[in-house]
Amino acid sequence: MRISCPYCGQRDVVEFTYQGDATVERPDPASIDQNAWNAFVYDRANPAGRHRELWQHSGGCRAHLVVERDTVNHVIHSVAFAGEKQSPKTASKRKSPSRRKAAS
Amino acid sequence: MSGRRIADRGRIDRNRTISFSFDGKRYSGHPGDTLASALLAQGVTLFGRSFKYHRPRGVLTAGIDEPNALVTVLRGKKRDANIPATQLEIYDGLVAESQNRFPSLAFDVGAANQPAGKVFSAGFYYKTFMGPVVGPLRGTRFWMFCEWFIRRAAGLGRADHEPETARYQRMNAYCDMLVVGSGPAGLAAARAAAEQGKRVIVTELDPVAGGSAKWSGETIAGKPAAEWAAGEAEALADMDNVRLLTRTHVWGYYDGNTLAALERVGDHQPVATPGAPHQRHWVIRADTVVLATGAFERPIVFPGNDRPGVMLAGAAQRYAAEFGVLPGKRIAIFTNNDTAYAAAAELASAGATIAAIVDTRQVISAGARELAERAGGELLLGQAVSATSGGKELSGITVQQLDPVTGSASGAKRSISVDCLAMSGGWSPAIHLASQAGAAPKWNDDLQAFLPPDPAQPWLGAGAFSGDTNTADALRNGRNAGLKAAGGRASRAQVAKVEAPTLDPFPAPVFEIRTADGKGKALVDHQLDVTAEDVRLAHREGFLSVEHLKRYTTLGMATDQGKTSNVPGLAIMAEARGISIPETGTTRFRPPFAPVALGALAAERTGDVSPDRLTPMHDWHIERGAEMMPAGLWHRPRIYALPGETLEQAYVREAKTVRAGVGMVDVSTLGKIAVQGPDAAEFLDRVYTNKFSTLPVGKARYGLMLREDGLVLDDGTTWRLGETDFLMTTTTAAAGKVMQHLECLLDVHWPGLKVALTSVSDQWAGAAISGPDSRRVLERVVKGTKVDNETLPFMGIVYGEFDGAPVMICRLSFSGELAYEVYCGAGHGTHVWEALMAAGEPFGILPYGMEALGTLRIEKGHVTGAEIDGRVTARDLYLDWMLSKKKPFVGSAMMDREGLADEERIRLVGLIALDGQPLGGGAHIVEDNSRAEPNESIGHVTAFCYSPVLAKYIALALVRGGKARHGQRAFVADPLRNRYGPVEIVSHHFFDPEGSRMHG
Amino acid sequence: MVERESPLGTAYKPGRHGNVADAAGVTLSETRPGSIVEIVAWPGTEKAALAAIKSVTGLALPDKPRAGVVKSGKAGLGFAPRRWLVIDDKEGLAAELKSAIGIETGAVNDLSHGRTVIRVAGPRAEWVLSKLFAVDFSVDAFPVSNGCSTSHHEIFAQIQRTGRNQFDVIVFRSFARAFFTTLCHAAEETGYDVA
Repeated sequence: MRISCPYCGQRDVVEFTYQGDATVERPDPASIDQNAWNAFVYDRANPAGRHRELWQHSGGCRAHLVVERDTVNHVIHSVAFAGEKQSPKTASKRKSPSRRKAAS
Repeated sequence: MSGRRIADRGRIDRNRTISFSFDGKRYSGHPGDTLASALLAQGVTLFGRSFKYHRPRGVLTAGIDEPNALVTVLRGKKRDANIPATQLEIYDGLVAESQNRFPSLAFDVGAANQPAGKVFSAGFYYKTFMGPVVGPLRGTRFWMFCEWFIRRAAGLGRADHEPETARYQRMNAYCDMLVVGSGPAGLAAARAAAEQGKRVIVTELDPVAGGSAKWSGETIAGKPAAEWAAGEAEALADMDNVRLLTRTHVWGYYDGNTLAALERVGDHQPVATPGAPHQRHWVIRADTVVLATGAFERPIVFPGNDRPGVMLAGAAQRYAAEFGVLPGKRIAIFTNNDTAYAAAAELASAGATIAAIVDTRQVISAGARELAERAGGELLLGQAVSATSGGKELSGITVQQLDPVTGSASGAKRSISVDCLAMSGGWSPAIHLASQAGAAPKWNDDLQAFLPPDPAQPWLGAGAFSGDTNTADALRNGRNAGLKAAGGRASRAQVAKVEAPTLDPFPAPVFEIRTADGKGKALVDHQLDVTAEDVRLAHREGFLSVEHLKRYTTLGMATDQGKTSNVPGLAIMAEARGISIPETGTTRFRPPFAPVALGALAAERTGDVSPDRLTPMHDWHIERGAEMMPAGLWHRPRIYALPGETLEQAYVREAKTVRAGVGMVDVSTLGKIAVQGPDAAEFLDRVYTNKFSTLPVGKARYGLMLREDGLVLDDGTTWRLGETDFLMTTTTAAAGKVMQHLECLLDVHWPGLKVALTSVSDQWAGAAISGPDSRRVLERVVKGTKVDNETLPFMGIVYGEFDGAPVMICRLSFSGELAYEVYCGAGHGTHVWEALMAAGEPFGILPYGMEALGTLRIEKGHVTGAEIDGRVTARDLYLDWMLSKKKPFVGSAMMDREGLADEERIRLVGLIALDGQPLGGGAHIVEDNSRAEPNESIGHVTAFCYSPVLAKYIALALVRGGKARHGQRAFVADPLRNRYGPVEIVSHHFFDPEGSRMHG
Repeated sequence: MVERESPLGTAYKPGRHGNVADAAGVTLSETRPGSIVEIVAWPGTEKAALAAIKSVTGLALPDKPRAGVVKSGKAGLGFAPRRWLVIDDKEGLAAELKSAIGIETGAVNDLSHGRTVIRVAGPRAEWVLSKLFAVDFSVDAFPVSNGCSTSHHEIFAQIQRTGRNQFDVIVFRSFARAFFTTLCHAAEETGYDVA
């Protein structure tokens, strides 16, 4: 598997560290809602198909990325800096070879 | 030169002779020969013994698909086993031996298994070694008892137990297009893309590019095909944007269009080039891949089809055309398709006598008929070979009429005397890589073969791989694949003109010849001795699916992975089930396409695979005779033992020195993170359980971090160097984990905070100087600052200079003594360390190692990674005083959950051994001293030592209820080390609980 | 000032090694610059940080991923979002940069002791580095003065192409000896000089 880091370009997956589910929201720090915290820390869907995941380019620029990945076939649909997850327009526009359809 | 060597053809260099040995006997050959071609040229027919029945075997193929002729190459004491003789290039001094024979190849006692064939049929091991239900050999124990004998009798080559002497290397490569295979299709694809300026890598598993052009005898662009291919390959190799890798096979197709290839760099060389690897593991990332891997010819399944001298027609043709060797003098052809006629013509023109061409079909094409006339010999249509004769070499074949409906041979038997039978059962495209990369392959009824699946990754196919049946199509489709891969479109332009016979491209659907008497073994998988009858037996016993068939019979397993046997095996199963081959299905190919040495994957990562992480004072420690120990990747001094001292004597001496005078330990390994920015203090307040915004500049504070789930992550001191500038220290082991935790919080959850995190662990060398004399030592060496209690109070920071090197000193204590941590630039580490040692000399200063460090901290009850094991809470460690109630922090919402706040959790205590014996890490604490039955554990030892101040063996432990048990008696139970004994549970603050010494 | 000790120690063996049949494929050396400084900007202050770097060092760093600039005796490199390294023969650069880049613009860290710069120069530099790093070193993909952040197993590295056939590999000091040893081993095939 290769991930296209928006800063470094495409790199082998060994340079990255899986940092968990990107779909969970951290509750407000002052919140004492146990259910909200429990959901953030423990509750995880395990979808077969498209999933939003956090990956850190720990062996590269060290940025945290939101990677939209198909858990069934490892096709990566988009990569964006995690800090900019609110603005999807910053998602990597570069097409990775794995997205390009073979022309045969 | 024996009569088998042809005078005028092939790519061998007849001007040079190479000498080598096979099974201890000397032979000669020429550069360009494989072991197989060189031995065939000298009349050798017997290459090995088969897996189960020890049947004599010759060569079946001329390439990587070889199931029979596997040999072991000896290099000194090293044994490279299971190498196909058909792939092994000879070199001067090559020593090869045959496999799976005892005591010798020609006389093999295991061949006695042959009459016992019924016994060794499919599933033999499963059925036989089930063992009795009771008794000493019950269940699988019987198998374990028999295994040694079986493993000796059955099997492939034997590995050695010597350390690897050859080097392997890894190479990372990137290209616009990777072309796998350099036959006409691959060469055309590479040329087309390379001319567009694309970066192209071409791999060829043989030493010479050209694929089928090397032996087809066709003409391309007015030149003999082999010559055309050589010219194309040379032109490609001359282009800057092309890398042509010969002796390289691509064996794995992974996600992200990453492919793995193995280059045999030194396998063909008598002496390795200095520094060069034996084999090179290529990891190639390609934007597009062109698969032009050709096709493998299939044997026909009939009784006696494994006798030495029976080989594939394409292989026979190849030996003649490419290697200048006649595989026999009097040859018969047995085929279900036209391609074998070209082989017949080539063999005849090379000097062999074609005794007969036996074809299962009643009618053949005009092109085939013309080739048959050129080849000479009888043309026997609608007939089949139903038996072979001979011992270690073929002496004749039996031909009978073939019933086109039942597929059985019957009627009058005709014997034909031959020394070689060249057979062809059609061709199977080499779709292995496409299968790895994609979905299930597609059956093609015309070609009677599986064609590649639709691409799930960006690859294109060309040539025989994608079903092209002539060279002109291969050139056109190859060229177009290259153009498309280069981002262009297919071209209508002409390709180089090919002159070749016009043949019927489609084989007859004949896979197996059955005989009326059913006698003789008809081999499907030559490598694992799986017969047609084994496949039918699997069917009768209910192993119907291809996956079950494979596992029950071992069809398609082992080193050749069924390259010649898969489709015939499927065909026989399909027939038995009365369904079609595509309905039967096929197994998905997995990497590797061909065997890969583990050494190649490990590459240079052998021995101790972790890089040594060294502190700035490393060489000083070594010179001082320190015994080093690993701490993660770091190397740290464990003890500086005097001659004759035990470990315990050494650390006790070192620890005593600290308590009585002064000692020094290298703490450069501590994780150090610069936390800077306008929001740095706010950030620290959020990540630590206690407050840091209130910390004055020039002071340090002990801090505790929790994980999101409320358990303890790490502890350490953080120093405020400026209003917006903090230096955080972490434990050595947790440095990476803490950095990642903090980066995640900033990047993902608090991107609005202006905080920068920078690893400065390596910027600073650190020396902790501890003991009542430590201040006096500092005073002797430091310039530019005072270090008295007023200037440098507990947790204070000052800056100064040691002999010209700037230092930063913080008054911290891990030992409980008056102590300081002295930091300087790492490049000044040894300088500063030596300055401290010199200043401490009048006080008898000694360096101390990890054991003494641990002893001092256990006596003080300080926690480290041994206690912070990912399962403890701050309360478990009696650190709840550090949990701020005035602010939320990471983990604050989760730390009060019922299970985490329970008083009966295992909590930190001290232990004193009451029997005066050492305690062991990991030992359990129990309330009852009975050893007979396991007692309920109420906790465990996390760290232990001999305490010089108490003159007792002590330990830190996590024990149920913690403090509530102080003063109670319990027992350690350590069955692994057979250590049982009474202990007293006490406070973990063994020594100076008020901290008067470090504040003094 | 006290001279800075090299971390290479026993691994540093000047002279010709490996395959000595032909000219050395690469020359390996430690550049030992006077200053290695890391600069971090806040979101939105990138331009101000780059302007400050330019005013102090004269290095005009482009505001593009992985872009760098190489001048005689100094170099700058972007290696992560909003992060740059400045390497200079001159000592004491961190203090100068710190005063030019206030905390409102970003953070400055002196890593002169904490990083070691290994130079790999020669016609086989791409080949030798490709054994260790999964990065495309071809000059089209990795032009002169550009850089990257990557790792060889546990060893983190920042690499800048400082010439057509020259790369500066910046590693953590504590790993420098292990890395240099590995690099020498990888260069045996092409032959190498240690300078």
